[in-house]
Amino acid sequence: MLRHLFKLTWNKKKTHALLIVEIWASFLVLFGLASLIIFNARNYLEPLGFAYERVWAINLQNNQDTTDVAEKIQQVVRHLGTYAEVESVTRMGSNFPFAASQMSNGVKYNGTHSMMNFYTVDENFARTLDITPLAGRWYQSADSVGKHRPAVINQKAREKLFGEENPLGKILNNDGENTWKVVGVIGNYKDKAEFMENKPAMFELLYADDRWNSTLLIKTKPGTDALFEARLVKDVTAQLKGWSVEVDHLTESRTNQHNLTLIPVLIFLIICSFLLVNVALGLFGILNLNIAKRKDEIGLRRAMGATERAVKQQFLGEIWVLATLSMLLGLLFTVQFPLLHVFDVASGVYLLAMVASVVIIYLLVTLCAWYPSRQAARIQPAVALHEE
Amino acid sequence: MLTNYLKLAWKVLLRHPFYTFITLFGISLTLTVLMVLTSFLDHLLGPHYPETNRDRSLYIQMMTQTDTAGTTQMKGPMSFRFLTDYVKSLQTPERVSISSVMNSSNAYVGSQKIKLNTKFTDADFWRVMAFDFLEGKPYNEQNIAAGDQVAVISDDFKKEYFGSASEPVVGKTIEIENVHYKVMGVVRGSPVTRFFTHAKVYFPYTAPKSNYQNTGFRGNYIAIVLAKDQSDFKAIQDEFYDRVSRIPVPQYEGGTKYDVLKVMNETYADNFLGTIMEGPGLRAVFLSIVGFIVFMLLGLPAINLVNVNVSRILERASEIGVRKAFGAPVRTLLWQFIIENLFITFIGGGIALVLTVVIIQLINHSGWIAYADLTINLTVFLVSVGVCFVFGILSGVLPALRMSKLKIVDALKG
Repeated sequence: MLRHLFKLTWNKKKTHALLIVEIWASFLVLFGLASLIIFNARNYLEPLGFAYERVWAINLQNNQDTTDVAEKIQQVVRHLGTYAEVESVTRMGSNFPFAASQMSNGVKYNGTHSMMNFYTVDENFARTLDITPLAGRWYQSADSVGKHRPAVINQKAREKLFGEENPLGKILNNDGENTWKVVGVIGNYKDKAEFMENKPAMFELLYADDRWNSTLLIKTKPGTDALFEARLVKDVTAQLKGWSVEVDHLTESRTNQHNLTLIPVLIFLIICSFLLVNVALGLFGILNLNIAKRKDEIGLRRAMGATERAVKQQFLGEIWVLATLSMLLGLLFTVQFPLLHVFDVASGVYLLAMVASVVIIYLLVTLCAWYPSRQAARIQPAVALHEE
Repeated sequence: MLTNYLKLAWKVLLRHPFYTFITLFGISLTLTVLMVLTSFLDHLLGPHYPETNRDRSLYIQMMTQTDTAGTTQMKGPMSFRFLTDYVKSLQTPERVSISSVMNSSNAYVGSQKIKLNTKFTDADFWRVMAFDFLEGKPYNEQNIAAGDQVAVISDDFKKEYFGSASEPVVGKTIEIENVHYKVMGVVRGSPVTRFFTHAKVYFPYTAPKSNYQNTGFRGNYIAIVLAKDQSDFKAIQDEFYDRVSRIPVPQYEGGTKYDVLKVMNETYADNFLGTIMEGPGLRAVFLSIVGFIVFMLLGLPAINLVNVNVSRILERASEIGVRKAFGAPVRTLLWQFIIENLFITFIGGGIALVLTVVIIQLINHSGWIAYADLTINLTVFLVSVGVCFVFGILSGVLPALRMSKLKIVDALKG
């Protein structure tokens, strides 16, 4: 039966060439769309790893004031802690959660090298963002007395660098003379919002005499409003003459990060769905016409004793064979993505996308062929043969 | 003759409304996507308010400092001093404007918080850019020399801060980060997609917190060079690159030594593409991906259209057989089908035009991009009509060629 169907298709390869190209192209478009959606959906399902609600980021910039910068920043940190509306204050670099800026560094352990998202944050960071270490603890300022700078890594970084080994107390280094001692491990840290891939991250202790990292995160009490924010900006600018002070709410920055991912996906989705509807309509039309042309053939089969079911199956089978041929051609292209590691995406995403596209294409062609095939099956042999 | 063809085409369209719908759907959808895309690109890259001089402007926005080994690279905008020394004094341009990149800040009115972007500019900024002043006037060299704390604000910010769109506000003060500025003028705002001109508040560069005093090469300023004419671009670039090449290297910046100093001086489109993708390799990859997407976008509906047309023309075999039997030459038949197809493509184009207008209006009024001013301009429309034409030929010639090859007997039999 299957061989027969292949033969039928092969005999009319010229007529079917364009149809194959059309299904092939739809498959590729669908594959692209499915990869994009599956990649983002998979990331979305991974938890963020920290709490951002009620947290504000205060960016300080010293401008032309270059005296005692570190001391002045520490003063502000202490001052912010005195407000009744503020639950917790932490100081870090400009790569605060959901910010556009990011920093990455290569880190080595026993010859294993890994690129990490790198954060310089102080001891109150975990408390401000509600991060609970999975193993060990978050570092304290007191840890800075040792030879190695204290550091905390996330689960992903632990897998990359240590595998099964216990990371606590181990020493990390980079190509320069910097060394770090791991004191704790946390879970996820997806600081570019939910759609970000869960990547290795490492946190090192921010020293009090640091004059470059000047972003402060504060966790406010519930119900704190813009009136407090205005007062806060006024107080800080009064304390720091000539400095710039800017306040960001993490909830707003998160929305921005989401839009950066969602808007392109949405546009792509809309365009692709229209393309597919277009293809489906066309396919339906072509199949309808084809069956009208093959009336005599159907009449003959029916007269020779073929059941309605058999005729219907023949037409559905033909389009499935056609779709299979086109998709085999398409798979030749799409398997290159996981094989060549294009775009640094996990192979699982591509495989899942291929499966999804294959299923959707089969559904689509079946849907388009269903009505015409039924029409074909209903043809009365007497009528068809009479016309002939 | 032509009217005859058109009449015929119209009748054919009405004969099978479903197939007509499929064809029109494909054509109008594709053209709509294409036109919205081109008009968005035009919005991003074309010379529009307030950067109407963009086609004769060069942008100096990025400086790259690299060490000999190529391991350390620092890049970013430049300091006010560097641009004053090396760009402002160029002989060939008509005018040079120096302005800061976008800074963000907040203002507070009562319990209301206003997020805002600010920009520090020189006086020439207002001459290079064609801002509409709704009231007041721009600050000039005297204000800058005196270090006046003045500002030009956008109409959006005026409404947010003062709560009224109609009341004049020139002479009133605004408070941002504990500093008071006197409002000198109100301009119609610039969309955020034009990041060299977009801001809610513009300050003279001598205002507090502008950092124009920085002595290094890198900072947070960019320069826009207005040429008298596009043909001067080469001369300006030569003069500028010659000057930069004379800067002695190696030098130190922020404690890091570098040996190679590169500053780009290019048109807006080049600059825009340059920021998306660095390096020639990436550029090729990016362009091929975009090319592939556009190809798919156009190719898929085109194949679909050809497919439907091929199948449908066979349906009309008997009609063709009769015409051929009565002596119509192949050429006449070919023309009939081409015109039929062009006819339907242009109807599709018309629908697409209406759809595009609706979508563009939706984008402009949705507030998705503040001050969005997407338009269907003449170029966009001409491009679409051209594409329309290609479509018609593509889906008309192939089936028509096949058809005209049919023998009369076969055609009549069908």
